[in-house]
Amino acid sequence: MSRISRKLQNLMQEVLDLPQDLMFDLPRLTLIGNKELHIENHRGVRHFSDERLVLALSQGSLEISGAGLSIQAIQSHEVTVMGTIHHIQYSETGEKP
Amino acid sequence: MNIPTMITVRGYLKLAVRGERVELFINALTEAGIPVWDVKPTGMHAAEIKLLLRDFWSLRPLLKRTGCRTKVIERNGLPFRARNLWRRKAFALGLVLFFALLTALCSMVWDVQVEGNETIADEDILAAAQKEGVYPFQWIFRLQPMDKLSTNMTARLPEASWVGVERTGTRIRIQIAEADIPEKPPLMSPRHLISTRDAVVTRIYAEKGLPKVQVNSRVKKGDILISGVLGDEENSQTVVAKGEVRGLVWHEYDIEVPLVKKHKVYTGQDKERAYLVLGDRAIQLWGYGDIAYAKHEMLTFYDPFTWRTRQLPFGWMTEKIMEVTEVQQTITAEEARTEGIEAAKRDILAKYGADSRFVTQKILHDKNENGKVYMKVLFEVEETIAKELPIVYNQGE
Repeated sequence: MSRISRKLQNLMQEVLDLPQDLMFDLPRLTLIGNKELHIENHRGVRHFSDERLVLALSQGSLEISGAGLSIQAIQSHEVTVMGTIHHIQYSETGEKP
Repeated sequence: MNIPTMITVRGYLKLAVRGERVELFINALTEAGIPVWDVKPTGMHAAEIKLLLRDFWSLRPLLKRTGCRTKVIERNGLPFRARNLWRRKAFALGLVLFFALLTALCSMVWDVQVEGNETIADEDILAAAQKEGVYPFQWIFRLQPMDKLSTNMTARLPEASWVGVERTGTRIRIQIAEADIPEKPPLMSPRHLISTRDAVVTRIYAEKGLPKVQVNSRVKKGDILISGVLGDEENSQTVVAKGEVRGLVWHEYDIEVPLVKKHKVYTGQDKERAYLVLGDRAIQLWGYGDIAYAKHEMLTFYDPFTWRTRQLPFGWMTEKIMEVTEVQQTITAEEARTEGIEAAKRDILAKYGADSRFVTQKILHDKNENGKVYMKVLFEVEETIAKELPIVYNQGE
């Protein structure tokens, strides 16, 4: 993405007041207590176990750790995670799945 | 949430997936657009997923590509139930048959009841109902609407002024309101009215027919009083003669009345005997011993056991023995005479009709002998003397 187009995008976002997840393809997380986590705009599962779930994002990855994690439903851009969630950690670097 | 709709109808599977890269398989599933839910990790390289039966066959290329293996753990939903049922055909058939039979039996008329009829026979009403299609073992859905049935039934039964038809479940109730039809006069064959005995006519009133005698004429027994043949010899018609003829008749009575009367009077002393009756045998239970009374009367009551309205061949029998004494009463000759005449008058009223009227009475002979009064009394009575005689045609001439 060139510098000009990025600047243009930033300008658009500021002028039109659009949500960032639409503009920059960022993930949107909806956390209900520590029981349920709904993530939009993911890019696939990278690691999946009882205590740890790593999701790929457009930039970097999202690591969710907890206990008794399970994916209640998964579609190409959405995932609903159930279980007891302890940490949600964002890491900028990460290879593509 | 995000689970496909009607999963139980469409059928779904629970799979155990194992392989080095389960995550890759899950990603492949989402890319292929196969909806999965309840994904639970069961170990480092294993997970359980649920997916629709429809998508199961499209898993193979994905499995091959990601190097995973699956094992079906659970099969749920209608398609599997249907397959199980198909294996037990007889059971399935029985199930279907049961409900079919139940529905069939519930949609059938089992009973037709008739209410409120007194003169119309049940059979006639049921026959009319049968013509309207109302009979046992008829399908309820083949019946006409109840108001239409009611109208048609009323048309079929002229003796009924209204017919109501009503259905409760499998029972049809037909309610009848009978019409009041005037009574038809009984059919009578042509007849004469003739005299029952020798008399002098005091009154004749012919309602129908030709009077043959007049008041004060003397008639003999068997004479025609009112003729049932009208017209002359050429043009004649026979009718049912009807009317009232009264005449003076003499009745002679020989009366004897005793001057001493004996009455039986209960003294109030009594004794009871009780029996148990079995068949035609009676076993006395109590009241043994001789009867101490000089004269007595016995009353017997039998009380059989009954079951509903049926009499059983056993029961109780009680005998009541009551002491009586005779009381003598002496009356005068005059009292005896009036008593005798009253008895004779009662006898006349009973024999010749209650509308008889006593005109005169004459004591022809009267003597008092052996403690009795003997009398001969002549009563002159005005009474009905008409009697019907059917007119018989001469045949063969």
